Parts: sequence; C-alpha cells; structure tokens
Amino acid sequence: MSVLTVDHIAVGYSNTVIIEELSAAIPEKKITTIIGPNGCGKSTLLKAVARILKTQKGAIFLDGRAIQQVSTKEIAKKLAILPQSAEAPPGLTIFELVSYGRFPHQRGFGTLKKEDLKHIHWAIEVTGLGELRDRPVEALSGGQRQRVWIAMALAQDTEILILDEPTTYLDLAHQLDILLLLKKLNEEEGKTIVMVLHDLNHASRFSHYMIAMKDGEIITEGEPKKVMKSENLKAVFDINAILMTCPFSQNPICLSYQLNKETECLLQTVE
Amino acid sequence: MTEENYISAYQQKKHRKNIFLILSVFILIIIMFMISMSTGFIRLTPMELIRTLFGMGTDKQNIILFDFRLPRIVISILVGMALAVSGSILQGVSRNALADPGILGINSGAGVAVMLFISFFPTTTAAPVFFLPILAFIGAGTTAILIYVLAYKRGEGISPTRLLLTGVAVAAGISAVMIVLTLRLSPENYQFVAVWMAGSIWGSNWSFVLALLPWILILLPIAYSKARVLNTLNLGEIPATGLGLAIEKERLILLAVAVGLAGASVSVSGGIGFIGLIAPHLARQLVGAKHQYLLPTAALVGSLLLITADTIGRWILEPSEVPAGIVVAVIGAPYFLYLLAKSKA
Repeated sequence: MSVLTVDHIAVGYSNTVIIEELSAAIPEKKITTIIGPNGCGKSTLLKAVARILKTQKGAIFLDGRAIQQVSTKEIAKKLAILPQSAEAPPGLTIFELVSYGRFPHQRGFGTLKKEDLKHIHWAIEVTGLGELRDRPVEALSGGQRQRVWIAMALAQDTEILILDEPTTYLDLAHQLDILLLLKKLNEEEGKTIVMVLHDLNHASRFSHYMIAMKDGEIITEGEPKKVMKSENLKAVFDINAILMTCPFSQNPICLSYQLNKETECLLQTVE
Repeated sequence: MTEENYISAYQQKKHRKNIFLILSVFILIIIMFMISMSTGFIRLTPMELIRTLFGMGTDKQNIILFDFRLPRIVISILVGMALAVSGSILQGVSRNALADPGILGINSGAGVAVMLFISFFPTTTAAPVFFLPILAFIGAGTTAILIYVLAYKRGEGISPTRLLLTGVAVAAGISAVMIVLTLRLSPENYQFVAVWMAGSIWGSNWSFVLALLPWILILLPIAYSKARVLNTLNLGEIPATGLGLAIEKERLILLAVAVGLAGASVSVSGGIGFIGLIAPHLARQLVGAKHQYLLPTAALVGSLLLITADTIGRWILEPSEVPAGIVVAVIGAPYFLYLLAKSKA
C-alpha cells in the first residue's frame, strides 16, 4: 500500500529541468530513504512531494487525490516537512515554536485549545524536550534544535513526515539519536517517513525501503538488501564499495570504498 | 503534568508580563498626550488645560486646543500606529529586520507626486493643500505597485529579497527624478517640499483625521487578525508551506495592508522614516517575536514615539518648529548604533 504516489513528474527550477520523468510509490507506514550523489535530484523530488516545488508535468497523489487539487492547508494535515536548514525567529521558546505546528488545525486568532495542547504536550515529551520547553530555541545545541523542529512537525499531527537530511551537521551520536527517534515514531505511531540521507550505512540500517537516484532518474529501488549492492553503488556513485553485513540491523553496509577511476588505475598498475 | 494545563507557569508569567508592558506603554501615551496638549508657542497650565477640556476655557484657549493641538496629536497617534504596524508586517513578511515602509517606495513615491504637483502648479493657494494627501496616496500606491510588478518573477512569484532590492533601486531612481524637479521649484515651494519630505505633521486639521481614520479602522484589525499568519511566515518559506500557509496569497494581502497603512500616513505626515523601522524593533525587545503581542505593542510604541517627537519638535526651537520626522531620526540613529554595538558584543 502506498499513501503517496509520484506519477510521471517533471520538476525543476525556473529554467533548468532537474527531473525529466520520474515515477515512484512511497510505502505506507514505512521508512523510505532517498540516496544519490549531489545534484542527482533527490532534494528536488522531496520538495516536489512536499509541494514546495510545482511539478511541470505529471502529478503527485496523496491518498488518491492529486496534491495540485487539494488546498495546501488540507495537505498540511496529512504531511509535515522538516526543512534542511530552518532558523527560528529570535526570542521564540521551544513551546512557542512547537505550538506553531498546530497552524493547519487552527482557525481565526489561534488561541490554543485543549486538543492543541494535547498534541503539543505529546510532541515535546516524545522528543525528550520536556525539561527545556521554556528555553529560547537559539540557546539550544544543534541536535536539540533538530528535535524541536521534529517536535513542531509532530504537533502538526500528520501521517507522513518528510525530512531533508535530518542528520546533517550533527555528530555521530546525535545523528543516531535523531534516527532512533524517527524509528520509534515509525514503529510506535505508525508514521510514514520519507527522507534524504547522505550516509548510506544509516540509510541501510534504518530504512525499510530505499530509492537510489542519479541524474534525475531512479536507478534502483527496494529494500536495503536489494539496493545496497556493489554494482548499484557503482552505477549510482561511481564507486567501488566493499560491503558487509551490519551486526545491528543485518542489512548491508559499506565498509570502505574507492572512486571507480582510482580502482582502474590500481588495476592497471598491477597488470 | 496533565495535558490540559500544559501551558506552563512560565508561559502564563510571560503573558502577564507582556500585558503589563502593553498597558505601561498605553499609560505613557496618555501622559505624553497631556504634556503635548500644554506644549507649544502658547503654554497652557494643567489647570487651564483641564478647564478648556471641560468647555470652560477662553475662546483663544479653545481654538488653540481644539482646532490646532488636538487634531495634530490625534494624527501623530494614528500615523505612529500605522507606520509601526506597517513596518512590523514588512519585517515579518521579508524576515528582514531592516525592512521599513520606505523600502516599498512609499515615501519617495508620495514625495515625487507632491513635488510634481507643486512644480507644475506653483501657486501655493488653498486648493493644493487638500489635494496633497490624495496625490501623495496615489503616488505611494503607484510606486508600490511598480516595485511589486518589477520584483515579480513568473513561476516563482515574489521573493522578499527581490522585493527589498527592487525597492531600494526604485527609490534611488525616484530620488534622482526629485533632484531634477527641485531645479524647477521656487525657493518658497522648495522649502515647503523639503519640510514635507522631512516629515512634519502639517495636516493638523480634523478633516485630515477623518481622512486617515477609516484606513486605520479597517486595516489595523486586518493586520491583527493575520498575527498567526505572520508568525508562520516568519519561520521561512519552506516551513510556512509545510504548515499549510497559502504563501503567495497571504503575502499579497499583507503587503497591501502595509502599503495602505503607510500610504495613508505619508499622505498626511510626509516622509517620516524611522518609526516603521524602530517601533517594531523596540516592541520585539519588549514582548518577543509573537505577533499577537508584537503588533499591538509596536502600534503603541509607534504612537508614543511620534507624539513625543512632535512635542519635542514644537518645543525645542520655539517659536519655530522642527519636523517630527527629523526628531525621530535624531533619536533613532543613536538607538540603532547602540543596537549594532550590542549585537557585536
């Protein structure tokens, strides 16, 4: 089952087309990760799905309805986005920022109702920010700040969460921390999660489904065991990767790698 | 902790503090109102003031208070409010703390309209004085629309950065036109235009109050009802889209409100620059970034600043007057340098 289907879309910025034609289906209640080299169109695809970029051709269906025909507020009740680099206005506390997540559910002046408080409360607690909720957002560390934005997306109370590189700029432990949080949200709350990650091993370890892209096209997609193969990584990143099985997830991970041209040089020398 | 009372003690304290601050500014306005009524070429003692207010003053006192001072004070309050709210909206929409109504070409547009009129109809008879506000408003609106059209890019809509840059460019162009136009002006007309541009509350007359009031009564509530939208826009384009805000539509509405407010005030007060920039800043320092608090606070701070500036302008070089816009700039510039120094430290 998929809640989100991409049907033959073309998308890009004003004059450049980045994706010429692409179709994909995002499985429901699963974690899907898009991987690929810089400039391959993975963020573009994510932005198109999140209706930030308009499609030039084709359509994207959310619950069977084309998103172009649904009001943006209606979509916001089903799909939340976590931007790559978001900055909160100075002086805003965590509670206040998370409460902004209730926007699509509010009317008029925006007094917080019981229902709103319930979701804000849950979002702050589940992301482990309870102690910090009256602190200004700018006083937090990078990892905590990322949690606040996730909390805001959670307060939005949507089935689908879209995240563009949620672990960028975080150290090893905090990267894992965010991914474990997403895993928990998927398992316990049944959230459908779609994200872009640069770290292949994280992608393999935490995803149910992977989409590998290059030059605006999908090269291969499927569960990590299918996607994380050396021939696929060669085709997508132009690298020779040595793969092994992750002792934690039993999924393939990349132990080390070389650029393809490097390997060729090496082979020539041996000969 | 239960969900129902999840609004923490801290949040409640902050709310009470903000309400207290808003009331304090309001009380300061009332005090300044009193001081302003008694200040001027002819001073009124507190007793005379009270007597006149209750209809027991001499004819001369009545004329000074009801025909000259009161309309002028009321106009300063309304203009201060309008400029401050207009500035808050623009800063919120553009996410740029340096945005003010001037960048939408409102001041220069109104200025050039006034100048064109005076340079082609140089007789300063009674007729142009009533024409000027309408003319200034048309000039301001036309320039704002021109900037909007120039900054608009098909497929992408209007980006705040493009809007700011286009605004600066168009304002520079208009300034050039105005310099050329000054060559045509007689010295007396030039002086009139110069004082107008510097921002003096010259339209001190009840009919100007009536001309300004409908704009304020309609546009301020609209602005206030958009507080939540402004909060969301303030997060940036992508988060705002994600939260389901129809960005293009809301931005256009908010820009129109900002232009309407600033255009209406420029038409009666000339180019008062600093209020729209500084009042939102001060308000943000007082009550924070949430527009539910920020907008009313900025409005009151704007009123307080302008009524104070106008009073100082009337008093400092008696019997001549310093335009309120200049007083605001003289107070505003050091405050800005202070902010700059503080942000570096």
